[in-house]
Amino acid sequence: MSQDLKTSSVAIEGLNDSALKVRLKRNLEIIQNVLENPTTVIGLIIVILMLLMALLAPIITEPNMPDPYQMPRDWKAARSAPLTPGHVLGTTNRGGDVFYGVVWGARTSLKLSLIVVCLTVVVGVTIGSIAGIVGGKVDEILMRVVDVFLSIPELIFALAIAAILGPSFTNIILALVVVFWVKYARIMRAQVIRIKQREYVDAARVMGDSKMQIYLKDILPNSFSPVMVQATLDMGNIVLVGATLSFIGLSEAGIAEWGVLVSEGQAGISAGRWWASTFPGLMVFLWALAFNLVGDGLRDVLDPRTETKR
Amino acid sequence: MSPDTAYTSDSLSENLIASVTNLKVYFQSKQGMVHSVDGVSFDIVDGEMMGLVGETGCGKSVTARSFMQLIQTPPGVLAGGKILFKSQKNCNKCDGAGCVACSKTGKNILDLLSLSESQIRELRGERIAMIFQDPGKALNPGLTIRTQLAEVFQEHRENDVFKKAGITNNLDGINGYLLKKYIRQELNLITKLMLKFPPFSGFRKKVDKAIDGLVTEALSETQIPNPNKIMERYPHELSGGMKQRVMIAQAIACNPDLLIADEPTTALDVTVQARVLDLIKDLQKRHQTSVLYISHDLSLVRRICDRVAVMYAGKIVETGDAETIFNNPKHPYTQGLIKALPSMTHERGKLEAIEGMVPELINPKTGCRFASRCKQKKSNCENNDPELKVLSNKDKSHKVSCFLYE
Amino acid sequence: MQIRDYIIRRLLVLPVLIIGTSIIVFALTRIGGSPIGIYLSHEMNPAEVQEMKERFHLDKPVPVQYFYWIKGVTQGDLGWSGVASAPVVDVFPKKFAATMELAIAAGIVAVSLGIALGTFAGARRNKLADHIIRVVSVSGASMPLFWFAILLLIIFWVWLGWFPIGRSDPNLFEAIPHPTGFYTIDALLAGNFAAFRDAVWHLIMPAVALGYGATAIIARMMRSSLIEELQEDYVDAAKAKGLAERVVLKKHARRNALIPTVTVIGLTFGFLLQGTVVAEIIFRWPGLGRWMASAVLRGDQATIMTYVMFTSILFLIVNLVVDIIYANLDRRVVLGE
Repeated sequence: MSQDLKTSSVAIEGLNDSALKVRLKRNLEIIQNVLENPTTVIGLIIVILMLLMALLAPIITEPNMPDPYQMPRDWKAARSAPLTPGHVLGTTNRGGDVFYGVVWGARTSLKLSLIVVCLTVVVGVTIGSIAGIVGGKVDEILMRVVDVFLSIPELIFALAIAAILGPSFTNIILALVVVFWVKYARIMRAQVIRIKQREYVDAARVMGDSKMQIYLKDILPNSFSPVMVQATLDMGNIVLVGATLSFIGLSEAGIAEWGVLVSEGQAGISAGRWWASTFPGLMVFLWALAFNLVGDGLRDVLDPRTETKR
Repeated sequence: MSPDTAYTSDSLSENLIASVTNLKVYFQSKQGMVHSVDGVSFDIVDGEMMGLVGETGCGKSVTARSFMQLIQTPPGVLAGGKILFKSQKNCNKCDGAGCVACSKTGKNILDLLSLSESQIRELRGERIAMIFQDPGKALNPGLTIRTQLAEVFQEHRENDVFKKAGITNNLDGINGYLLKKYIRQELNLITKLMLKFPPFSGFRKKVDKAIDGLVTEALSETQIPNPNKIMERYPHELSGGMKQRVMIAQAIACNPDLLIADEPTTALDVTVQARVLDLIKDLQKRHQTSVLYISHDLSLVRRICDRVAVMYAGKIVETGDAETIFNNPKHPYTQGLIKALPSMTHERGKLEAIEGMVPELINPKTGCRFASRCKQKKSNCENNDPELKVLSNKDKSHKVSCFLYE
Repeated sequence: MQIRDYIIRRLLVLPVLIIGTSIIVFALTRIGGSPIGIYLSHEMNPAEVQEMKERFHLDKPVPVQYFYWIKGVTQGDLGWSGVASAPVVDVFPKKFAATMELAIAAGIVAVSLGIALGTFAGARRNKLADHIIRVVSVSGASMPLFWFAILLLIIFWVWLGWFPIGRSDPNLFEAIPHPTGFYTIDALLAGNFAAFRDAVWHLIMPAVALGYGATAIIARMMRSSLIEELQEDYVDAAKAKGLAERVVLKKHARRNALIPTVTVIGLTFGFLLQGTVVAEIIFRWPGLGRWMASAVLRGDQATIMTYVMFTSILFLIVNLVVDIIYANLDRRVVLGE
């Protein structure tokens, strides 16, 4: 044991010398490995296209003033088929331009997923870290709470919360945060406990680091990759669940959001007007697929052991 | 494909049971072709114990698995060579009279590498059997010992089972059809259900009992205490030594001509190793089985093997009688290996390691593979491939592949 | 042996989780405000309002209200559903049967197809069939159910007219008694083949839509765990015995590969349950999910609470059963960590 400590503390000293170099080199290798997998590259390309579309939305289509996140209504051109001049992807029963919805929906989705992922990561990582570091009763109670949260199916839980808060896009964000933080807490707690047991943390302790120092220097950076993988997957899942909630009717009607648009387009289906639901739905699918592919690719590279365990 | 294609015009000397000639097995990888086994040749004399020694990754396991066509292709590639094999026994199904099964496996010389899937299956477990390195991994964790051993008899001893069950006269019509399907593991939902009810269930129980008997016999052969109890257990409920005995029982159940033992004691505790080793040696003597014993431990191989082939980086560097190799090693690698062995007579702290690293086997260049580590390297060692040659006319079995002796 | 202790331990934790869930659900609904609204009408004067509040204990602190609610639940009083204009208890069983029929049908599709496809792909790694199945299963996990269902609707209902929507033909539905509430089973019990055909006909499209995601997840898991198993030594050992490829695959590898797949099947049950909400809206299936969706939009608290509680309990029990099956299947499993 003492032998182990000696060697690992030596290793740490060595690491400090060129820590930056080592980290840089490792990151480069990771990027290289990620880009070796063709499906990941496909996912990455779609992600980039989606992001471009979200960011360039005001350039691609003329923003609907005063609130560009509201669908423009062209009542005269309602129920136009795709390839109608001015309405490339057709319009809905209520004259909403499907193309506008598709483009601005990307912006809405980006907003939604970024906000929810950031908030859930902060909340989850904090709670998971507390559970892992403090341990004992606190850990026990927090983990039981996590268990309870996990015992309600995701969508139903989010649905109930959003319903109780009242139908609005902001409330969908809140509902998703309440539902999605749990996984990060679990991941973080497992990481903390695993890393706490590794020798190099022992070595750090021997060298006189405080708990907080150990946490900031050793535990937090090492937990980065599983959290990152989960966050990437969630970027897709959140839009999937969020759009479903909107589809059911929990957003304000008339906003430029893919789920809302699918729901609006539903009314024309029995009359054969397929386009108003098909295109925005396709966008949700591509968005979720792309982030799932990238997330899977990341996981394969960062944590090859768990590749198949899911 | 007619069964005749399996026959080969190659001849095999009278005393040999198998002969490997210029075997080449490569593996595709991202970096290129890995030449795991690159032109390996050696013979196995009937009834002897042949040792194949080398470091981890030198290709000895790949060589062994090639005997049974157990190399997955791809990524594996059979790049050339032959493994000739001559069975010493008559077919158990027709006793040499000639039948569909044994027209493939009768007393003919076969090239194991060119057999079809169904032909090699007739040999696996019946004429050639294998013991794996880690019995904990080689036994299916989800099936009882009985189920796993029974499969060998079900596959190769159908008639014996029926005879033992005393139902050879009841094998006509639907009854025989069902029981044969049962023993060959070809049941579907309906036939499975039918066998659960009389009159078929009675016959099925008799068959089960006969198989139980055969399994018990096989287990007691390897000195397992309480075979009746052990066979109802799952692998994880047994100790490592016990599991390896089960593996051995499974391998010798059909009394094979050739037993391939791939480091059978490596995964076991030191105290158990010796007993398992003695068991294999004892069984080999009693049944006159030929054994290909693979190990990284030269001293162990010397203890039990008649002859030895030393492998390095995909090639055989030296082969000969175990004693000759041990007392009079010629190849610098063999010499290094023996110097690296701890022994009672050694001075304390004076073990010698071989300097350097095993070379990469990805698209290797010509030249002796050991050249980079060899202390007696000559100018032509790195540019030419040495061949395995007889050293002197006195001992024709002792061959070395090294330019020092040319 | 320990399996029994394990089951007992899990059963003891179950009520804790259920109570925890009920607290969360109750707290959530009360955050949204008092449910008094549904009991009131415009003609009531303040005294009557106060009387109603007292009658439903809504004048008490929230924790006390929780206990009254639990007391009511244990006595079979789940509250008044504003959407259905009837007590929740009365409406629930019929809707529940409709939803379960759909979920079970989708589950059967998902499990059988998922395992079959996963095995097929895993046994033919990197061949064409494997690539196709992989694409199908990867896309299945990212497929928004509401979109997939609408695509099916457009193709098979609007364009081809092969499948109907809704749950049944009303005349045929009326023609038979409904002792179980499962339309297919009721039709079989009544011996009415036309009704049975009608039931299955209506069931196919929603079941396929609902089952697709779960099929994808199961197939993916089955494929990867089969590939893992096929690389194990015991597979080579089984081949070395002379067994046929088929026996090695089915009796040895697939059996072990099913073990991790079983846990995933438990998880996909949650997936199916929550999917019923969307599938029932799109295919006009008169079940719990559609009821929940309208309750959500109209703030029908009693229905929301009952639905969430009920699905979570169901989900918990299914996962418990799955864990027990898992423990029994995997001889190596060390129970409770």
